[in-house]
Amino acid sequence: MGKGEDIRVLLGNVAIARGIIEAGCHVMTSYPGTPSSEILPAAVAFKKELGLDTYIEWSVNEKVAFDNAMAASWAGKRSAVAMKQVGLNVAADSLMSSAYTGVIGGMVIVSCDDPGPHSSQTEQDSRFFAMFAKVPVYDPSSPQEAKEMVKEAFELSETYQIPVLLRPTIRISHGKQSVKLTPPEVIARPADFKKDPGRWAATPRYRFILHKKLNETLSQIQERFEEESVWNYEVGSKREGPLGIITCSVSFAVLLDLLEDLDIKEAVNILKIGTPYPLPQRRITDFISRHKKVLILEETDSVIESQIIDKSKVWGRLTGHVSIQGELTPEVIHEILSDVLRKLKISDLEMVKDEYLEKLVKELELPVRRPTLCAGCPERPAFFAIKRALPKAIYPSDIGCYTLGLNLQAVDTVIDMGAGITLASGFYQAYHQDKNDIPIVATMGDSTFYHSGTSSLLNAVYNNARFILVLLDNEITAMTGMQPTPGIGVTAEGTEGQKIPLEALIRGCGVKWIKTIDPYDIEGMIQLLKEARQYTKSEEGGIAVIVARHPCIIHYQEALGECRIEVHITDECNGCRYCVDYFECPALRMNEEEDRAEIDRMLCVDCGVCVKVCPRGAIVPVEL
Amino acid sequence: MNIQIILAGVGGQGILFAARIFSQLGLKIGLGIMGSETHGMSQRGGSVVAHLKLGAYQSPMIRAGTADILYSFDEKETYKNLKFLRRGGLCFVNLVSADRFDGKILHHLENKDITFRAYDAAGVALKMGVIRSANIALIGYSAGTGLLPFHYKDLKNVLESVSRTNDLESNLKAFETGFREGKKTL
Repeated sequence: MGKGEDIRVLLGNVAIARGIIEAGCHVMTSYPGTPSSEILPAAVAFKKELGLDTYIEWSVNEKVAFDNAMAASWAGKRSAVAMKQVGLNVAADSLMSSAYTGVIGGMVIVSCDDPGPHSSQTEQDSRFFAMFAKVPVYDPSSPQEAKEMVKEAFELSETYQIPVLLRPTIRISHGKQSVKLTPPEVIARPADFKKDPGRWAATPRYRFILHKKLNETLSQIQERFEEESVWNYEVGSKREGPLGIITCSVSFAVLLDLLEDLDIKEAVNILKIGTPYPLPQRRITDFISRHKKVLILEETDSVIESQIIDKSKVWGRLTGHVSIQGELTPEVIHEILSDVLRKLKISDLEMVKDEYLEKLVKELELPVRRPTLCAGCPERPAFFAIKRALPKAIYPSDIGCYTLGLNLQAVDTVIDMGAGITLASGFYQAYHQDKNDIPIVATMGDSTFYHSGTSSLLNAVYNNARFILVLLDNEITAMTGMQPTPGIGVTAEGTEGQKIPLEALIRGCGVKWIKTIDPYDIEGMIQLLKEARQYTKSEEGGIAVIVARHPCIIHYQEALGECRIEVHITDECNGCRYCVDYFECPALRMNEEEDRAEIDRMLCVDCGVCVKVCPRGAIVPVEL
Repeated sequence: MNIQIILAGVGGQGILFAARIFSQLGLKIGLGIMGSETHGMSQRGGSVVAHLKLGAYQSPMIRAGTADILYSFDEKETYKNLKFLRRGGLCFVNLVSADRFDGKILHHLENKDITFRAYDAAGVALKMGVIRSANIALIGYSAGTGLLPFHYKDLKNVLESVSRTNDLESNLKAFETGFREGKKTL
C-alpha cells in the first residue's frame, strides 16, 4: 500500500456511492430496490465522514427521484439518481424526455440490473432502455471500475449536456472488492436556472430540433468512445486468431478468471466493452475482421450483439450459442466456451462437473428454502386473518416483504408497485359488469402505498369500485433494508422530516371507511374484515380500508417490549400441522418422529400470536 | 496466495458478517479482495451464500469445483454448496456430528480428498447464551484445526476490529471456545 493510500473493501454499491461523492455531486436521490438499495445510505455515510453538504433524499418513487435530481442539474449542479432496473420503468417518462432536453450540470442515472433474476420481477436490460431513450451507458466490470466510471460519466454528461446511465449488474452492485479511494472534488455551483422555454418547455415543433441535436450529440459521443480508453480495450497477446470474444460487465471478469484457471489465455483474444451505447462500431468491426469467429458474452440481453452491423461471423444470443435468459454464471460461461472451442476445433476442455455428487444431492430431495416472513412479523397474522375471514376472496397484492403472503395463500397477484390496488379495482369492475359482487381483499405495504398507491386508490374511489384494502403498515421499507418512509417522517440522513400519516392520505383519496388495528389481534382483525366486507356490500358503501399497524419486528427490536409472551406446546397437540402449514411461522416446525409441532427457540421471538392459531388450543403461554 | 472461500447458510445466521471477517483478513495480509453476497429477498429466511476470493482475481463469483474452503452454517445448505469445493478442499459445517451427514456423500467427499469437519457451533453458542455467535464459533473451530492457511492471531485481530463494541466480548468468547475445540482434533 502506497503512502497515505486509502484502500477499503467495498460493496459495489458503496463504491458507486463513493464515485458519486468523489465527483463532487451536489444532489442525490433514490428510491430503494434490490440490487440498488445500498447506494444512497453509503452516500450519506461518506457525506458525513467527509463533512460535505451534499443534499441527499429518499424520494417516494423513482420518477419523483429522477425529476428532483434533474431539476438540480438544470440549475447547474451535479446530480445523481439511483434505482433498480424496474424502477427505471417508473421513471421512464422523465428519462425519455430528459434525453431531448438534456442537462446542464452532470447528471448520472444508476440503474442496477438483476440477471437471474434474484430479487426482481423481470430480467430486463437497462442498456436497452438507455438505447431506447438515446442516452449513453457505462457498463462496469468491477466495483472499482464502477466508481471510476461514475466520475467519467459526470464529466461526459457535463461536456455533452446529456444525462448518462451507469448500468451495474447485481454481481457488481453486490460484489465486494478492495477499492482505492480518492478525496472528493469540490465544485462550487450555486443554483442558477437559466430560463430557456424552447428547451425546458419545448413544444413538439422544438422537440424535433432537440431530437436532431440529440442525434448529433450521440455521434460525437460515439466518436469519443471509439478512442483507446480504459473502458474499451483488447486483452490477448495476438492481433488475430480463430476466436475473438467481445464481452462486458461481470462476464468480462468471469471470463478472465476462467481463462487463467484453465490456462488457455492464448486460445482467445478479448475485446472488452465498457460503453455499450453508443457502441464504438469501428473498433468492433476491426476486431471482428481479425478473427474467424466472434463470440459475444453480455448480460442480460443482446444489446451489443444487436447493434453489430455485419453479424455473419458473430455467435451469441441471437444465434443460440448463448442462452437467451438467465445469468451468465462462471459455470454457464465455462460451458459456452467449451462448446465454442470444440466447434472451432481449438481445444477440448475437460468439464469438471461432479455429476455423481449432483445425483447424490438430488436423491436427498432437499426442500427448496423459500423466503418467508420473519418470526414475529406482523404481516403474518394479518394474512392469516384475511384468509380466515374471507377465504374465497381474490387477493391482489404488491411488491415488498408482504409478497411472502404467498406462503399463506393470501396473495394471488404480484405484478408491479401499486398494482395491488389497481388490480383490485380492475377485478371489481370486471365482475361488477356481470352483476357479480365478489369479495376482493387487496394488500399493500406502507412504503409501496406512498410510492404509487394514492393514484390507484383515488382512481378506484372516483370510479365507484368496492373492495377491501389492507394497508400493512410496519413503519419502514423492510424488504430492501429498512429505509424510512414519509409515515415516520425521518429523512435519508436521519433528520426530522414532515410526517404524513397513512390515514390522512387515505381520507384525502376520498375513502370514508377507515379503521386502524394491530394485526397481532387476530380475532379483532377477523371481525374488522367481516365489517369491512359488509360495508363494501351496503347500499351507501364503497371501498373499506384497514390500516394494520405494527412495527417491523426486525427493525424495531424493542417493539415487543414488555409484551413478550413465551409459549410452549402442550400434549394436546395431535400433529395436525395446521399451525405449520397455515400460519407458516419459521419458529414453528414439525417434529416428524413424535408427530407433533415444536418451537424453534433459536427463531422464536415470543410474540405469542400463535396462541390464537392452534385449533386445539395446544399452544399456550408459559406460566411464570 | 490465492484462496477461494464459500460461506453458506440461511438468512439471519450472520453470513455477511463472517464474510467481512475474511475480507478484512485478506486486506490485512495484503491480498486483493473479490467477492459477492446475497442481499434482498433471500435475507428473509432464504438461502444466503457469500463468495470470497482472496488474491489475484477479477470476478466476484467462484466457479463450481474450485473453492478451497466451504463454511456452512446449516446442514441442508451444505449439500447445495458442496459442488463448489475443489478436490482436496476443506469443509466446516455447523452440525452436531458428522454421523448426521449423508453417508454416501461423506464417502464421496473422502474420495475427492475433501476434509470434512462437523462442529456443533450452534450448540456451543446457545450454551453461551448468544446464539448469534455460532458463525464465529465455527470460524474459531476451523482456525483451531490448523488446516487454515491463516494465522490465529491475524484472525483474532480482525475479529476484534470488525465486531461491534456490544458483541466484542461474546464474539471473542465464541471464537476462543471454537478454537480450543478445533485444537483437540489435531
